[in-house]
Amino acid sequence: MSFLSPLLFLGLAAIAVPILVHLIQRERSRVVEFPSLMFIRRIPYQSVQRRRIRHWFLLAMRAAAIALIVAAFARPFFTSGAAAAAAASGGSREVVILLDQSASMGYGDHWPQAQAAARAAIADLGPNDRASLVLFGRNAEEHLRSTSDRGRLEAAIDTARVTSGSTRYGPALELAESILAQSSLSRPEVILVSDFQKSGWTGSEEVRLGEQARLTTVPIGSDAANLSVPSVAFARAESAGQERVTVTAGISNRTGAAASGVTVALEIDGHPVETKTVDVGAGASASVVFAPVSLAGSPMRGAVRAGSDSLASDNTFHFVIGPSQPLSVLIIENGDRASSSFYLSRALSIGAAPVFRVEVLPAGRVTAAALDGRAVVILNDTVVPQGIGVDGLQQYVERGGGLLVAVGQRTTWPPNDAALLPGTLGSVIDRTSGRGGAIGYLDYGHPALEVFKAPRSGDFSGARILRYRPVEPGPDDRVLARFDDGAVAAVERRLGEGRVILWTTSLDDSWNDLVLKPVYLPLLHQFARYLASYEAPAPWRTVGQVADVSAILKSRADRIVVTPSGTQIRIAASEPGLVELDEQGVYEIRAAESGAPTSHRLAVNLDPAESDLTRLDPQELVAAVTGSAATATAAVAVPAEQTAAETERQQSLWWYLLLGGLFLLAAEMAVSNRLSRTERFL
Amino acid sequence: MQGQAIPGARFVDPKVLARIGNLELVARNVVDGFINGLHRAPFFGASIDFAEHRGYVAGDDIRRVDWRLYARTDRYYVKQYEADTNTNLTILFDISKSMGFASQGVSKLEYACFLGACIAYLAQRQRDRVGIITFDSEIVTHVPPSAKHFNVVLHTMDRAKAERPGQLSAPLHRMAEHFRRRGILLLISDFYDDPDAVLEAVKPLRFLGNDLIVFHVMDPQEIDFSFDEASAFQDLETGDQVPVVPDSFRQQYQALVREHIEALRRRFAEHRIDYALLDTREPLDRALFSYLSSREKLMRVR
Repeated sequence: MSFLSPLLFLGLAAIAVPILVHLIQRERSRVVEFPSLMFIRRIPYQSVQRRRIRHWFLLAMRAAAIALIVAAFARPFFTSGAAAAAAASGGSREVVILLDQSASMGYGDHWPQAQAAARAAIADLGPNDRASLVLFGRNAEEHLRSTSDRGRLEAAIDTARVTSGSTRYGPALELAESILAQSSLSRPEVILVSDFQKSGWTGSEEVRLGEQARLTTVPIGSDAANLSVPSVAFARAESAGQERVTVTAGISNRTGAAASGVTVALEIDGHPVETKTVDVGAGASASVVFAPVSLAGSPMRGAVRAGSDSLASDNTFHFVIGPSQPLSVLIIENGDRASSSFYLSRALSIGAAPVFRVEVLPAGRVTAAALDGRAVVILNDTVVPQGIGVDGLQQYVERGGGLLVAVGQRTTWPPNDAALLPGTLGSVIDRTSGRGGAIGYLDYGHPALEVFKAPRSGDFSGARILRYRPVEPGPDDRVLARFDDGAVAAVERRLGEGRVILWTTSLDDSWNDLVLKPVYLPLLHQFARYLASYEAPAPWRTVGQVADVSAILKSRADRIVVTPSGTQIRIAASEPGLVELDEQGVYEIRAAESGAPTSHRLAVNLDPAESDLTRLDPQELVAAVTGSAATATAAVAVPAEQTAAETERQQSLWWYLLLGGLFLLAAEMAVSNRLSRTERFL
Repeated sequence: MQGQAIPGARFVDPKVLARIGNLELVARNVVDGFINGLHRAPFFGASIDFAEHRGYVAGDDIRRVDWRLYARTDRYYVKQYEADTNTNLTILFDISKSMGFASQGVSKLEYACFLGACIAYLAQRQRDRVGIITFDSEIVTHVPPSAKHFNVVLHTMDRAKAERPGQLSAPLHRMAEHFRRRGILLLISDFYDDPDAVLEAVKPLRFLGNDLIVFHVMDPQEIDFSFDEASAFQDLETGDQVPVVPDSFRQQYQALVREHIEALRRRFAEHRIDYALLDTREPLDRALFSYLSSREKLMRVR
């Protein structure tokens, strides 16, 4: 019980008035002037003993009435015991408790504090109130929905654990909004228990709670210092025929004070390889370069550990690294010119991610076996090899191979083929008279050309196109590029699991000078990557990403995923094979059948943003979500629901007290009138 | 308790008189009506009746010689009439604070004023000399009796205010020393004192052969004590308070008052003092009748 105006209790001194009246003037309640008391004095007094008892009863009524009225003016309200508050306010609450379980909540004792705050919120629930528990990190999970069972709620809080997820307030608040929208209770309320990481709120979230809803924030902890390993970089090199990799770890210090002598250790397959110390300035980052490590035949599991602080989870960075896997590219040329594939092969021989292993064969020597293991086949200004024919190429593509057809002077294509080549080739268009043509349009939405979308990411306009073969693409074909006259420059067709791209001009310098332009090499690399469906093997992934187990294993049989915590997840062949990576550490993925080859490993790390413990002003969040920043921020241990004035206004206990006081006064009047007729004294 | 008013002499209610505000008008109104109502009374006209003969002395008006007696006796006698034997009427007016009590419109003081004014008017009509002495614990105003002092007497009564506690013995003793000539003394008071003490205070007034008429003025509440609610009763004169529950006090109080009145009546009667208890509810006729009968007795005695 609290009072809005406790100073008004000074009015309780008014209780002294009836007491004084009773003590001093209790026999003079009404004075009648009389000429002389000569005769009255001769009449003997009666005993006053009994009168006093009744007198005190009246006195008690008067004092109680004054006390009630004074208490009413002091504006009392219940601070604890939401039951009484709800009863007084006349409405039950629908409370959604949003409990942050992101990785940053593992800092020091933040998680126990958060659990205590959530339990306090549950303890404040009235008998008619209902509460939902939503645990959130990157995504929000509805743990318990709209229940008044405190035991279940508290048990859910007890069993909740800190996850490795990052913080995002948007999904949690959206979920809370949807829960409140379906509630019939009159007082919707959201209690957000979190460490309020700034990175969890971008300000662009379109979340808006209803007008009636209140958002109470319960900030946990305070601005905290943190040391983390946000990233690791690899530099591959070949030495003496063996591939070696140099690991460089970045260390970030988000402390106000410099950290000196921070121990940074590199582990490979669980064994310490090298340990270094580094000084990191306040609010700065530093990098540690370890000695090169030879790569074995199979991917290795590695980890970089740096320092120790209250948030241990971001002090370790996991990765999996294996030897590079080159893409095999077969260039089929006509064979009548020595340098027809010169530019092509030279361009593909450059680069490390991926490494292209290029083989050039004349069309006449190509057999079906030559296509085995090829990621990409390039028909460079030549005819369809007779050894494989259009059908052989089509089967190769349908199995998942990539085919790039570069048109030139020597290119011919069987006219009866309508399935493989995207479109029908027309006669050569000669634009040698004048300046020549240019590439006027690129489909930047295509994955192969997406990298050129950004400004200064590739200038195709400088290339002069002198000749090309017009193509009439099919309805299902996708035009990737056009010349300045609108003619198709590149068109793609998907066939089975593979892809075919038709480039309507040459990839050497015979019909254009594109080969002399800087954009030639990346264009060729992009085509090759795309056709090979190449994805760089990520040394690590971030918590919250989804791994396609089927793609990793290249199998749709039953699969088993072992999480870093040791949990085995069996994925049936009928299931899609998508696994959300929600734990920090190394996942192992393998086929379920016995005798399966070596498992694949996936390293999963925290979102680097989670290491940034910079706090968001809770009022900013409240203002954005409710449109008003007036909602109170609760203390950690006892989350207040609303301001004292609002609570008092809702409960309006003063009204009942005032009525009680007036009733007592009326009763006192009636009783005293009655007594005055029957008793000698008042 | 009180006697009935004389038939045909019912006068205006004291409450109505209280609205008139002019004592002379009140007195004339009451007395004229009273006299008209009593015109057959045996006491009427006493003041102009023949009293006695005396021998003629030089200087007497020869018109007053009784020629019939001269014819029988051959001596000159002069007729003397009662009207010629003027009397001093002094109103002894208690204006102690207790006289200010009023439970129903007319206070005892006002009632006493009406009474005094009426009697003074009567006296003035009979050529008596009229004076007044007001007193509480001491003498407040003294207007000696005079045939010209009627208006002064009325004015004095009009100004009288019941403001101070009263006491009978001291002022009455001083008055008794003061009177040099016998006459009629009209004492109006509420007599809140022990009957013996009252008598002791009054007795000296009779020493010179004064005819003393005592009017005991009481408010109906003083007699009936018909209060309803339990209250603290405050003495008007002393300011003392006593808690009183009228219901349980009433009988005892009434018995005490009756006893007091009876004691006064008995004591005054023992000393041949006319005593009349007046209730402020009653018209003034009974009081006037009491006065006139007293006046008649005085004449007979003389």
